[in-house]
Amino acid sequence: MSHSERSAPRPIAAGRVDLRVRIGTLELRNPVLTASGTFGYGDEYAHVVDLTSLGGVVTKTVTVEPRSGNAPARVAETASGMLNSIGLENVGLARFRDEKLPRLAKLRATVIASIGGETAEELETLLAALGASGSVGAFEVNFSCPNVAAGGARYWADPARLEQTLRRLRRHTARPLIAKLSPDVTDIRETARACEAGGADAITAVNTFVGLAVDLDRMGSRLGRATGGLSGPAIKPLALARCHEAASAVRIPVIGSGGIVTGRDALEFIAAGATAVQVGTATFVEPGAAPRVVAEMREWLAARGLARLDDLRGRFSATAAQEPAAPVAAESTR
Amino acid sequence: MSVTQTRTWRQVSACVRTHTAQGEGFRWLELEMPEGFETPVAGQFAQLLLPPPSPVLLPRPMSVASARRSRGRLLVGFLYAPVGTGTRALAALEPGAHVEVTGPLGRGYPLEEPGTPILVAGGRGVAPLLMAAEALSRARRRCEFVFGARTKALLVGVAGARLRLSRMGSRLHVATDDGSRGTQGTVIDVLERLAPGLEPPLVLHACGPHGMLAAVAEWAMARGARAHLAMESVMACGTGVCRGCPLPRSHAARDRVLAQGASANALQGNPEWAMCCTDGPVFESRELDWERVS
Repeated sequence: MSHSERSAPRPIAAGRVDLRVRIGTLELRNPVLTASGTFGYGDEYAHVVDLTSLGGVVTKTVTVEPRSGNAPARVAETASGMLNSIGLENVGLARFRDEKLPRLAKLRATVIASIGGETAEELETLLAALGASGSVGAFEVNFSCPNVAAGGARYWADPARLEQTLRRLRRHTARPLIAKLSPDVTDIRETARACEAGGADAITAVNTFVGLAVDLDRMGSRLGRATGGLSGPAIKPLALARCHEAASAVRIPVIGSGGIVTGRDALEFIAAGATAVQVGTATFVEPGAAPRVVAEMREWLAARGLARLDDLRGRFSATAAQEPAAPVAAESTR
Repeated sequence: MSVTQTRTWRQVSACVRTHTAQGEGFRWLELEMPEGFETPVAGQFAQLLLPPPSPVLLPRPMSVASARRSRGRLLVGFLYAPVGTGTRALAALEPGAHVEVTGPLGRGYPLEEPGTPILVAGGRGVAPLLMAAEALSRARRRCEFVFGARTKALLVGVAGARLRLSRMGSRLHVATDDGSRGTQGTVIDVLERLAPGLEPPLVLHACGPHGMLAAVAEWAMARGARAHLAMESVMACGTGVCRGCPLPRSHAARDRVLAQGASANALQGNPEWAMCCTDGPVFESRELDWERVS
């Protein structure tokens, strides 16, 4: 079928687009989440962002004990991106549970609590303490922090360890367990499959990429530690490839993350197989980035007469590069 | 000091009203702010984001140098040196161009603190102190203004400072490393000379290179004076969320944070690091471990 023969899509009202998605047993209003570590504990942005306009808020990774984080410098801007070496600074389990969660609950946000640990036992402790909390909709397990000496991305890159750990975590909660994976592995399909086998309800692909910025004047790193995690638009094509690979390898939902700034960026991840997406670094540039992404997704779909996100999901085809297979892929905008 | 910090910052689109060269290598930028942008106080900062296409991703934190109302509109001024990729691109903006501004951010100088105010500026660190001088003048308070720089060409805004100070009979004291203007020496040399003639308690408000601020902090602590120092850091968000701009807390501050837990001044209760953006950028000398400030 050629371009001219195809009937033009009939636009629908943006309000008619159904953006709801499901992660395990948790239904989200829309597929846009805030990436852990880029939205604090939610309340920091509540005066400028209506948290109920988001699919959910993924909170800053919490560990059993409070952590002070790494020595400066913790951030360095690079071409179209930024390196960070925060080092999981957080208030610890007790204050997260007693102060942060109640505040988020009051703001009526869908809360996805990000948890991190150096061992399976620590993660179990966190789930045991938070698993029954009525204000947590789901858990995201941070298996991929690149900026800590122990329990970071490298430790959790072992598929067998991921599977065993998730089996143990599974016993502590009936709420969805999301495994956030590092892109810095030989084959993300292996770590994704291991998580699925261990009982994870979803995968987040991906965390930041390990990167280095050299200060030639000092012949040292521009960060306090040698390397940091790269995020921002610079990583979008890399993240999209990992997300697509992960989504093609598992049956559970994949949440795409990496360099998303616009609604179109988010839809590219959905087309490549993601069920939901996370907006991270863009929030540092524009605090209202995540709700704007929701609105832009809605408008793009409405303009093409697509009433449901499912009409687009996974429509990307590796062999469709030459001849557009479907109207949604053929439409050019901008 | 356990009041919950209410957040009032906004991100708005502001219009360039004035953008001119000032002194050697400096620029004066005045933005017209839309309704809803709170009036900043001296020592606070804003994050300036260039319009697309921008050569940089992140907004640039910049100290506010003036805030005034003109025909009902809030005008916010910045004094900066275009030294990096972002500020050089900013320097090219013409009047009428728009910039996204997030602010006002951080905690400013506690100018209401009782005592004899001494404002201490180092080079381009003069920006927030010009605003502090203006605020003190409006509150009909006299102050001493100490302005140090390597050489006279770097005494940017000195004429404006003199004008603001003269209204209240306040005095300007200039020091240059090379003696090309005022006293040959540092701001510490000037403070040593001035202090005996001033009525205690002395309250210093300073901004400049961290080396100078460490010297001012040490000078103040040795004399039992209070010193409020506006710090700088690389930043990403500027709003306390990313935790990217740590400054080392002193032992005393660490103990206080551990005792207080979640208070306004220990926003996230980190005993080791204060965040420049939300705990500061203005810190009292005893809050920081100056040996570890880089």
